[in-house]
Amino acid sequence: MKNLLLASTIAALTTASAAIADITILAWPGGDPEKALREVVTLYNDTQGKEDGSKADVIYFSRQGFKEKMLTDAAAGSTEFDLMLTATYDIGRYAPFMLPIDDLIDDETYKVFPPNAIETQKFEGSVYGIPNDLSLHFLYYREDYIGQLLSDPAWIERYQEISEKHLGQRLSPKAPEEWNWDDYIATAFFFTRSINADSPTRYGTVLQLKNLLFNMMLWQATVASHGGDWQDGDGNITIDSDAFRRGLAIYKTIVDNKATPGDSSSYEYGEANSAFGSGQVAFMIQWNAAVPELNDPEQNPEVAGKFALTHQPAGPEGIKTHFHSLGLGLSAASENKDDARKFLRWLGTSVEANTMYAQLGGSPPVVDAIMSKVADKRPDLPMMGEHAGSYGFVMNGGTSEHALRLYEIIAENFTGYWAGELSEDEAISNVEEEMRKAFAG
Amino acid sequence: MIVQPKSMLRRVGNAMRWVVLILAVTILNLPVITTFLTSFKSTADINAFPPKWIFSPTLDHYREVLITGNTHYPSYIWNSVVIATVGTLLAIALTFPAAYAIARHRTGSTWLLPIVSNLRALPLIIFAIPFYFMYQSLGLLDTRIGLALIACVINIPLALLMLVGFIQDIPRDLDEAASLDGANVWQILRHVIWPASRPILFTVAVLSFIYSWNEFLFGLILSTKNAVPVTVGATFFVTSYGVKWGATAAAMILGILPPLLIGFFAYPYIGKSMLRGAIKG
Amino acid sequence: MSYHASKHKEGMLLLSGLCVFMAFMLGYPAVANIWYSLSNISFSDIHTSEFVGLVNFENQLFSPKMWKAMGFSLQFGLICAALEVVLALLLVFTLHPILSRRPWLTAFLMLPMMVSPALMGVMYRLMLNEFAGVVPLYFEMFGVYVNFLGPENIYTTVIVIEVLQWTPFALLILLAARQAVSPDIEEAANMDGAKPLQLIRFIFLPAMLPAIVIVAFIRFIDSFRVFDHIFVLTGGGPGSKTTSISIYIYKLFFNQNAIGEAVAVSLILLFMSLILFVMAAKLIFRSE
Repeated sequence: MKNLLLASTIAALTTASAAIADITILAWPGGDPEKALREVVTLYNDTQGKEDGSKADVIYFSRQGFKEKMLTDAAAGSTEFDLMLTATYDIGRYAPFMLPIDDLIDDETYKVFPPNAIETQKFEGSVYGIPNDLSLHFLYYREDYIGQLLSDPAWIERYQEISEKHLGQRLSPKAPEEWNWDDYIATAFFFTRSINADSPTRYGTVLQLKNLLFNMMLWQATVASHGGDWQDGDGNITIDSDAFRRGLAIYKTIVDNKATPGDSSSYEYGEANSAFGSGQVAFMIQWNAAVPELNDPEQNPEVAGKFALTHQPAGPEGIKTHFHSLGLGLSAASENKDDARKFLRWLGTSVEANTMYAQLGGSPPVVDAIMSKVADKRPDLPMMGEHAGSYGFVMNGGTSEHALRLYEIIAENFTGYWAGELSEDEAISNVEEEMRKAFAG
Repeated sequence: MIVQPKSMLRRVGNAMRWVVLILAVTILNLPVITTFLTSFKSTADINAFPPKWIFSPTLDHYREVLITGNTHYPSYIWNSVVIATVGTLLAIALTFPAAYAIARHRTGSTWLLPIVSNLRALPLIIFAIPFYFMYQSLGLLDTRIGLALIACVINIPLALLMLVGFIQDIPRDLDEAASLDGANVWQILRHVIWPASRPILFTVAVLSFIYSWNEFLFGLILSTKNAVPVTVGATFFVTSYGVKWGATAAAMILGILPPLLIGFFAYPYIGKSMLRGAIKG
Repeated sequence: MSYHASKHKEGMLLLSGLCVFMAFMLGYPAVANIWYSLSNISFSDIHTSEFVGLVNFENQLFSPKMWKAMGFSLQFGLICAALEVVLALLLVFTLHPILSRRPWLTAFLMLPMMVSPALMGVMYRLMLNEFAGVVPLYFEMFGVYVNFLGPENIYTTVIVIEVLQWTPFALLILLAARQAVSPDIEEAANMDGAKPLQLIRFIFLPAMLPAIVIVAFIRFIDSFRVFDHIFVLTGGGPGSKTTSISIYIYKLFFNQNAIGEAVAVSLILLFMSLILFVMAAKLIFRSE
């Protein structure tokens, strides 16, 4: 036993410093994008990497605590990775630990990525990352149920009654492409069994109300489509506004009328997929990433092939969707900056790599020419490009160094309001105050 | 033959005890049992509504965790075995003499014991950055020995508190007699206190092992590739594109096995030595 | 050299290993943390920070959110520790005859502890889910419809999860304490015709008291700083309803990038727990 311990101790001490590759990439873990990125890295090592005389390797941390781990590593100047994850909403936080890569962006890059995609990886005028994956939100709805709602006279009648009773106005069913937020609420009520005993589903929709910053990104299209923003052009904080109150009210109405599952206050991405995948929910607003999973009959036999996608409901200011991109940027502490830059240059200019990445399940925000090549395999990709271009918004201040921390504060206060912990005024004034502090200094 | 009412009563009482035991084991382990079943369900069955009682079991999730999942799960288990074992043995080696000093000589009872015990009340996160810097300069980042040292720090308060409490209850006559026979303090520790404390030492060892086994935060922050412990490794299946429930369940079940084996090995021993100790004492 | 002085020297020698180790491991972190608590350190500029005096302490001491989290932890710790000790005692007295003959059965009762709370939290997300979860299904079989993770039940749920996982800890130690009670005493009392409840009340409980105090103390402290399963299940919400002091500190530290304030809260906590410990120590060191 003693020898064993000694041996393993020595082994532990010696293996620590063993290097296996020239550059190490720290990327966002999980799903098809992980598999796809591994393939892309293999492609690099087999082709351009040989020319560059460099070899790349990917590492993944656990999703749980990913940002914490990366923040600590980055802040302490870890040399464990050369390329690190960047995201539109936290470039500001990580910029101090990264180096800009503006000189890697030129016409060659724009043949692969349109300028507005590169824009999502910019902070204070400098580019920090090559975008890998675009993220935005779709309205996922059951074609069968919505189809019947639009055609079945009994359902139409019932829908009108419910909207009159609960929303005070007699609405008629509309196709999801034409919804405004009232239609969204009325349809949610119609498909909720406690309100409409004939509903084929238990709940109309499923909201993600856990105290988690990503859930606020999902919610804030309600605000943006009513013209709301974190701050106005002069830098005044504009949380205390009709747009924010309306956004809060849309969710509150659905929660209070139990048109979303009762435990939604603990829901995030996975739970919403479980609810929708069980066939007990008629529609939901969800990240684009859920499409392959929900369409896979092996995983979700109840709903695979039965749902369609569209944009989110419109507000007075039109249709909006939150969007951001994830990318890879250069760690300032890297000891192999030259090799790392070569890889980034290749990733930013290789049509082959990005086509492959898209085909394998990644969602690169590439130019139309590449999109159209993979459209038969990935019909959601052109749609994402179109939505990002037409409806995409970023909150004013949403890429600043404070963005993450403000999202956390918004999450804590607004989930508190929906759960009945805080009043609307308290929640709004708490967020206003914190935001004012953050942007003041 | 006349049935003794008293023995009848005893038999009913005994049967009741078994019922309580089975109920307690079932309820306390409900999460583990459910997880165990989940680990054998296909993803479609896991997502099924209403949840399924009967399903055709699959080993896919175990295959993913151990082979196809692009993780190195067996080595995470091994990392945790090394970390927890070293962390536990070291903690006992350090706290055993100290506990004796505190219990018998009262040395440090007013300063060391409070300070050390209080460490347990502190959220460990505040040590994350200092430990990171310290390990960075000592070259201990991403090493098992580094994490084992932290496991030891985490175990020390519990070990010290329990050992002090127990050693106090060992009759003083035992060491005084040995002392009169000319034994020095180390001999007393070795030949009197150590054998008498065996049950508590085993208990402390098992508990320390479990606590080290379950540690997450430092495992996350201080490891990257080589020293990733099993708790962190298991969350690799909690991805940014949803939780792979089946694989997470399988990873969790595999992660229970080593401490469970230790439990089965140690408990009979604890039980026996407790009885023996009690009879002697 | 006097007897006492030599005893003291011997004691110091016995403590030296532990002291050296703790000084080595915690010396630098302790000094660093005291500095952090008095400075404006943040992740964006971690190597250089400026002295700001007691601002961090002041901000946090007057923060209602901090006291709310502290209150949550205190209540959570007390409820969980009490439930765990009482349940464990009931189980110990009921099961002692069975377990002392078949000690290996104890391992089954220990099983819940062997899962990391972080992972357990993840699995509870599935188990308690209204759609895919089996626990709501078990309850529906008895005609009970419960939203375990809804705002109305979440507090109870996180307590039950903690109690289910850690009652075994109390059980293990109290079982050891029960088994350490000399059979002679038990027999003598039996001969005197004592009823089982009297035995427990007058023989076992007093004999086990130190163990009970230690267990309650350890479990209180551990539950007080609860983090993993709540953080995974609720993120401290909805709102800040389930934000324990550890979650509060964690969020200050990583999300709010207020490292100095996070450390300051921890030091406040350390100070308060010192007071608690002095009280507990008095119970543990019975007068001799």
